[in-house]
Amino acid sequence: MQLVRAGDARAFEIVFDRHSAAAFSLAYRMCGRQAMAEDVVQEAFVSLWRSGAHYDAGRGSVRTWVLSVVRNRTIDAFRRESAKSNRDVTEEGIAERIQAPELTDTEVERRDEARQVRKALVELPPDQRQVIELAYFGGFTHSQIADMLELPSGTVKGRMRLGLTKMRLALGDSPEVMV
Amino acid sequence: MSGKHDCGADAAAYVLGALEPEEAEAFSRHLDACVVCRDEVAAFQHTANALAMAPPQHRAPRGLKRRVMRAVRESDTETQTQEAPARRSRWGGSGLFVGRPAVAALGALAVVVVVIGAIIVGSNGSSGTRTIAASVAGSPGTAQLSVSGGHGQLVLRNFPQPTAGHIYEMWELRSGAKVPAPTGTLFSVNSSGAGNVGVPGGLHGISKVLVTQEPAGGSLTPTTTPVIVASLD
Repeated sequence: MQLVRAGDARAFEIVFDRHSAAAFSLAYRMCGRQAMAEDVVQEAFVSLWRSGAHYDAGRGSVRTWVLSVVRNRTIDAFRRESAKSNRDVTEEGIAERIQAPELTDTEVERRDEARQVRKALVELPPDQRQVIELAYFGGFTHSQIADMLELPSGTVKGRMRLGLTKMRLALGDSPEVMV
Repeated sequence: MSGKHDCGADAAAYVLGALEPEEAEAFSRHLDACVVCRDEVAAFQHTANALAMAPPQHRAPRGLKRRVMRAVRESDTETQTQEAPARRSRWGGSGLFVGRPAVAALGALAVVVVVIGAIIVGSNGSSGTRTIAASVAGSPGTAQLSVSGGHGQLVLRNFPQPTAGHIYEMWELRSGAKVPAPTGTLFSVNSSGAGNVGVPGGLHGISKVLVTQEPAGGSLTPTTTPVIVASLD
């Protein structure tokens, strides 16, 4: 990252190679459309290049930094499009499917990590999983979720808290899921 | 618990980014005073970060890397064209702001004049540098805008680090405009709360330089009230 801070484009290319798949997967999960996901990832990485000097290792890994920027950019894109009501935030709702290529060792490891986190999410009670997915992948606020589900805001926030607590217990501090 | 927050309820929504902007801002302030919520946010943050890895994993499509690297190169070229010759790119500076080289030379020219209030507090005819004391909200820190040769340098002292998952973002308000525009500059301060950060491009036509706290990665429009306002009028 020191080289990236110094403006070394080749070092930045390595950062892209390491994290672009996770970045694209997150954007694709949130957008449900490949073209939009690619645009968001491009926008996010350009933003990362511009702000690379401000990466603070004390606040988390490079991957956490990259993915948080991708998520924020995706939510910004949602707001620009004002298309929230048309978005389907469930995996089943993704219309486009991407062919799975042959996997490298790194990709296998990454997919194992993903599987572990996904398992913790899927094993939550459906009402808790739903509010977490709507908030995290859909970019909706608790008030919007409360309106959608016709629930009091307090109930929505309570489900978020219960769900995250259960996921935290399920994942522990296992290094495999340290993102 | 302090303030109006329900300590038990808001931490999870906060790390998921599910609070309304004004609630998130209030909760950020609340975190400064409430160790219970700080601990809870820290505990939930790790899980919230892990959620980013929950989606089915795909390879990035072919061609995406080429597009990104081309955009990166164009971004650099564009920035170099827009900025003064002495400055290589829009990011960098001193201290944490690595890569903003020649701006340090401004320090030799700077004439610091201490004044109170957001008014032009001094100028030096020979160096052409003037210092504007900026209004600061919600922080014990101070901020000054050093203006020289049509370019600005924001100098921060005793500023707190942005709250977890956030970063400072600089905005410019053009004369006659009602909504500030992003400058593309994201920054933090060092462990002493100090920072020097240049205003990208020139200050021509700019009436105010503002700083807000935004989610990491920045925003396209301000989502919180400014913590720094430097008025050039």
